[in-house]
Amino acid sequence: MDRTATLTKKETSGHESQLGLDTKADRLTDHVKTGVVSQAKGSAYIEQSNTKVVCSVFDPREIPRKSGYSVNGELYCEFKFAPFSCIQWRSHQPDAFEKECSLILRRSLEPAVCRHEFPNFQVDVYALVLENDGSALAAAITCAALALADASVPMYDLVVAATLGVHGDKKFMDPTVEEESLCNILPPDGRSRNHGIITAAFSPAHQQMSEFAQSGAMDIDCATSSIQLLREACESIYLLSQQCLLKGVTKMLKKKQKEIKLDLSSDRIAC
Amino acid sequence: MAEILLSEAEKTFILHGVEEGFRCDGRMRLDYRPMEVETDVVSHASGSARLRLANTDILVGVKTEIDTPYPERPREGKIEFFVDCSANATPAFEGRGGEELGTEISNSLATAYQSSQTFDLTALCILPGQQCWKLYIDILILECGGNLFDAVSLAVKAALHNTRVPKVKGACLDGGTVDLQLSDDPYDCCRLDVSDAPCLVTLCKIGDHCVVDPTAEEETCSSGSVVIAITEKSLVTSVFKTGVGSFHPQTLIDILKVGQTIGLSVNKALRAALLEEEQQGRKKECFGFLK
Amino acid sequence: MTQNVHIRLASQRIDNTIVGTSEVPRLYTPGEIITCRSGFMRGHGTYMEEDALTASVAGVVEQVNKLISVRPIKNRYNGEIGDVVVGRITEVQQKRWKVDTNSRLDSVLLLSSVNLPGGELRRRGTEDEQMMRKYLQEGDLISAEVQKIYDDGSLSLYTRSLKYGKLCQGVLVKVFPSLVKRRKTHFHNLPCGASMILGNNGFIWICPTVSEDEENGLGGFTENLLEVVPRTDREVIARLRNCILALANCKMMLCDTSILYAFEESQKYEVLELLRPEPMLDVCVLTQQRLYMQEDE
Repeated sequence: MDRTATLTKKETSGHESQLGLDTKADRLTDHVKTGVVSQAKGSAYIEQSNTKVVCSVFDPREIPRKSGYSVNGELYCEFKFAPFSCIQWRSHQPDAFEKECSLILRRSLEPAVCRHEFPNFQVDVYALVLENDGSALAAAITCAALALADASVPMYDLVVAATLGVHGDKKFMDPTVEEESLCNILPPDGRSRNHGIITAAFSPAHQQMSEFAQSGAMDIDCATSSIQLLREACESIYLLSQQCLLKGVTKMLKKKQKEIKLDLSSDRIAC
Repeated sequence: MAEILLSEAEKTFILHGVEEGFRCDGRMRLDYRPMEVETDVVSHASGSARLRLANTDILVGVKTEIDTPYPERPREGKIEFFVDCSANATPAFEGRGGEELGTEISNSLATAYQSSQTFDLTALCILPGQQCWKLYIDILILECGGNLFDAVSLAVKAALHNTRVPKVKGACLDGGTVDLQLSDDPYDCCRLDVSDAPCLVTLCKIGDHCVVDPTAEEETCSSGSVVIAITEKSLVTSVFKTGVGSFHPQTLIDILKVGQTIGLSVNKALRAALLEEEQQGRKKECFGFLK
Repeated sequence: MTQNVHIRLASQRIDNTIVGTSEVPRLYTPGEIITCRSGFMRGHGTYMEEDALTASVAGVVEQVNKLISVRPIKNRYNGEIGDVVVGRITEVQQKRWKVDTNSRLDSVLLLSSVNLPGGELRRRGTEDEQMMRKYLQEGDLISAEVQKIYDDGSLSLYTRSLKYGKLCQGVLVKVFPSLVKRRKTHFHNLPCGASMILGNNGFIWICPTVSEDEENGLGGFTENLLEVVPRTDREVIARLRNCILALANCKMMLCDTSILYAFEESQKYEVLELLRPEPMLDVCVLTQQRLYMQEDE
């Protein structure tokens, strides 16, 4: 953890963001893992500085309380903060913010999943924030996409997400909790009165933004220039997501091969 | 939203119409259908408005109550949005059917009104840390004919414009309890400043183009929409996507720019309408649902 | 790019009832006694209460010989054999389609009541049953004729004539069924450059004109999705749509003449302007005047 501590930089403005992103990418390599929940069809775990999210995906099941044929399958997404994940205790009941995050999670993932391949069925995606140190929603989206891929749910592309905080002239990529709350308040009189938080989900292979959720208040130039920044950030996480998946698959293959070898050797002994 | 069935040929006709820039009802891509607004329609509410956009009918009532401020924001009042998708609108809203849509709309409004640059919550403060006004904004969807976000946000802004908060003549701390003296005269009250309240503009992507104010049929043809909250000072206070489908980053940038200009003219039109109504004075006849 | 935003006030609302010169007929409300005399037969919209014939819906009384019925002002479509209807497929079932025709119950279109591609006298095999969704799927629009009324009041439709079948590109307008005048023909090739099917069930279909020889080739199941309807046709269709809605808004009867008059009177407005109440009312008043003038002649 000490390594991440030294890397809590992140005050980036304008095009200098590249610096912040590299460190972030560095950080991620060690902290993304698939297949952490053994009983789920697919799962993933992500650690971004102190934000820790675990996500699991379960087998498709028939859509409850629904009559009639639907051509496309459905995604059911739930985003939840663990009661001890934030500074203040959070109720077990989902509050308005969590409900909204669940909705954003669904909107981010839906375009990337080949929903026509499981008509009349729904896939459940559960994202649980174990520890929140900002940008939990973006981490959850990236994590959920990995879990979906790990569950072998057919997808057009992976989805990765990033958060950008804006406060006056400053922009924070992947903000912490303190930075997030700073971005929620109006900056003191200065050159720029922009403030707010943007979370964007992006599928780099098709260059498609599947979600762009902004809050706060900013002028149009700030909003449009953020799109480019967020896109760059997403591209760098994308590589890591891919690597992580590959690692998971090769591990599985090796395990399988070992088992086959063992089987063979046991056969031989039997002979 | 209650999806309606359309044949492939009808969808093609709508799609080609959007490409051509001439929609099924003769509008261009960026034209709104005529709207009708009336404020002060509910006598028991502190402020109310009804907005009709073609077949979409929204009734908003604002109630004020005294509450204690959040400990972390002692100098601010509270505001709460609740959307009720009444089963009057469509049987699909029956029971808990409309709940999801209702939460989506109320959350989007809460996000759009979050910044202190949109709505000044400090105006609702009575006694810092002790007492403040809480605005309950209840939105009733009476009829649903497409483009709910835009209609709801306009109705909310009109209702807030109409809201009158009783004047507090004096407040004093008596031991642990707060004593408030409200003005007896019902006309002696404060107005709220809504000049920076945002309007939501939905840009619905059909084919390669975007249209505003989609009809229910057009919504069925769309792969996704971007909703943008714009204030009169052209600040973007909220952006989000609805529907499935995704956008190329450049498309998104273009959509945001178009949305900004439209948001400005929508704000302007609403302001003009509200001013005109105000000039009719207090004696104005209430039309409501009759006639 | 131009943009148009209009927000009006409720005080500017206009009254869109057009007072006709003809007398307003006597209206009955539910529970109101129509007659106490015996010897009448109880029709739709009435019930017997202690020897008195009483209305069960609000509307006008209609008498055919001894049969008394009350026709409601606003009702769903009551089918009659031979009516031309426009309907939307809601469900594909075995050997039949369910069709929404704005009546109380969904109508039925049997596989044996449609013309399949390749000749009228073709036998329908299991292959055709499996192909049903290929011919007509959920959401598709058809024009058809009412063939039979079942005991429960649902309608059986048929399309075994070349003029009926699947509808291609165009616009559907929904109005109250009682506003559509019963005429000899409900298919109109309007001189203004569009075709129109005035369904007895209140569904009106407007589409670009199809030439005669092309029409014969349709056979019901072709739809050309690649063809782009030109702008001029689109303008005519949109204008017709808005005119029909304006007339329906003023509760005026719809037939080819009234629609055509409204279309001509609307020429001084842009198509877009016809969405606003004032031009709508204006067009209706002018149409009404022309209809009276024609009657006087």
